Amino acid sequence: MKALKMKISNVPIVAVTGGKGGTGKTTVSVNLALGLVAHGLKVLLVDADVDGPCCATLLGKKLEVGEEVSTFLPVIDETKCVGCRSCVEACHEHALVGLQIEIPRLFEELCSGCKACQIVCKHGAIADGRKEIGFIYTEDFGDLKLIVGELKPSEPRSPIMARATVQKALNELQGGGWDVVIIDTSPGVHNTVAQALWVADLALAVTEPTPLGAHDLNFILDLASKLELPAEIVINKSNIPGGLKDDFFNIAKERKIAIAAEIPLDNELLRSYVSGEPLLKKPVNSPAARALSSLVHNILNKFEGAGKYGQR
Amino acid sequence: MKEIVVASGKGGTGKTTVASSLAVFLAKKGVKVFTADADVDAPDLLLTLGDGETTFSMEVRASKKAKVDVNKCIACGECVKVCPFGAMIKPDGKQAVSIELMCEGCGVCTLVCPTNAIEVSQAETGTLTVERTKYGFSCATGKLRLGEHNSGHLVATIKNIGRRKAQDAGSDIFIVDAAPGIGCPVIASITGADYVIAVTEPTPAAKKNLERLARVVKHFGVPAGVVINMSGYSADLEKSIKDWVSHELGFQLLGEIPVDYEVVKALVQMKPVIDFNPKAEASKALEKIANKIMGFL
Repeated sequence: MKALKMKISNVPIVAVTGGKGGTGKTTVSVNLALGLVAHGLKVLLVDADVDGPCCATLLGKKLEVGEEVSTFLPVIDETKCVGCRSCVEACHEHALVGLQIEIPRLFEELCSGCKACQIVCKHGAIADGRKEIGFIYTEDFGDLKLIVGELKPSEPRSPIMARATVQKALNELQGGGWDVVIIDTSPGVHNTVAQALWVADLALAVTEPTPLGAHDLNFILDLASKLELPAEIVINKSNIPGGLKDDFFNIAKERKIAIAAEIPLDNELLRSYVSGEPLLKKPVNSPAARALSSLVHNILNKFEGAGKYGQR
Repeated sequence: MKEIVVASGKGGTGKTTVASSLAVFLAKKGVKVFTADADVDAPDLLLTLGDGETTFSMEVRASKKAKVDVNKCIACGECVKVCPFGAMIKPDGKQAVSIELMCEGCGVCTLVCPTNAIEVSQAETGTLTVERTKYGFSCATGKLRLGEHNSGHLVATIKNIGRRKAQDAGSDIFIVDAAPGIGCPVIASITGADYVIAVTEPTPAAKKNLERLARVVKHFGVPAGVVINMSGYSADLEKSIKDWVSHELGFQLLGEIPVDYEVVKALVQMKPVIDFNPKAEASKALEKIANKIMGFL
């Protein structure tokens, strides 16, 4: 699998992911990005959790103007359609329905925008239409640039939206001047997550020390391993009472992967989460802030050896 | 039978805590309960209810995947150009490869391939099972191959079979624990339901995602109520969320569950909190919510 991946860029791409929802992916992504900026790096932070993007919320920023993302939508020219049904048969999503000699009906919400119908139509009866599926927002904070993909509510095609968001970030990299990319992914192990992991050099799997956390962590580590993507574990809320940290040390040992950080939940972190003021935005000395700073150092050290910085 | 979906835009707000305790409480009250775990990427409902006895099992082939025949592929790269999901890869000068994890089976690649080297076929997805839990009611869930997770088709399959089994068993309520987010699997969970319980927490991130979920729920015309979980750590935000839920969303406020370490302990023990400690503050709050839901039946 790895051999298939074309090297996308010399800039390291870190995907922050985690299987289970609500483990702290966005908290880690935003603080990691700010921590790296504090070390003089230029950081591209990409919110590819298109179903529920929250990086901007955690940065206390309201997104203003977005760039529309749309997919193909067939427009049937009734004067040209002969009712041959080849488009109906080609549509794997059953978005086009019609009997012989009938003009097919389109169920827009089922259309994936794949263009199969247009390709098979011998009569040129299917013209290009567009369907808006979401927006990509870009916010410039100087040494930090935030790219956010947001799926339009009631649209189902999250993977296409995630792909467009990742693509936007890769295009930004072409322009040069970036030292590292952090991608905040969706929860789960589906295609929307795979779209982000596919371009990454390292996955940070954020989990919490509960049996459910451990269970879902194994799913995401399996996915990373199938993509031959190196992964490390971040144990968030590491201090919850009765937490099962041993299970995680065992998972790490069995899979021969590192535990990149253990982040305790403290009042400072909780306050920052509720107020939209990230913990590492200004110097705070709390257990969680220290753990996040050590994660920043950890990531810095990891890529420094590869000599990838200083391309500005 | 009423079909009730527990959803939340944001992950980790407590869907499974609500779904599991609701199911256990109603079952104890004599309501005939049937459940489905529609978050196949993180099937935490069945884990929380405890592995049961398998009463039904079937192979599912819910997704389609493209496969390239290397003997026919001439490395022209046409498939790579048209694939909307970036699932077709062609290393320089070499033959195309389909990345199954990213393929959604639309089949457009088969149409542009000049040598008919690509075939789209039903892929083996996994096993759908119905388990009878120790609480006496059943839970439909999927045990899946990696990379076959959480497609809308799959969730629809789990739900349809679960619903049929629930009806056959003469159930009063069918409780579906949905995936986080608002995409295809969540839409598949919500469509056709009688009611959505949206679980949120008093944080800006959760509020934003509740708003997005609400737009989806309204789009599909399903009535909904809101549960505010982990209430207590931000009184101001909580008040603003409550006002916004009742005045702007027009959703019913089903109740609040206070921050309670008994919930964390129950999570660590993998038990519904209402069973783990019925006297806990969170359990009492869940009981009130469950009684409201019982009123709908």
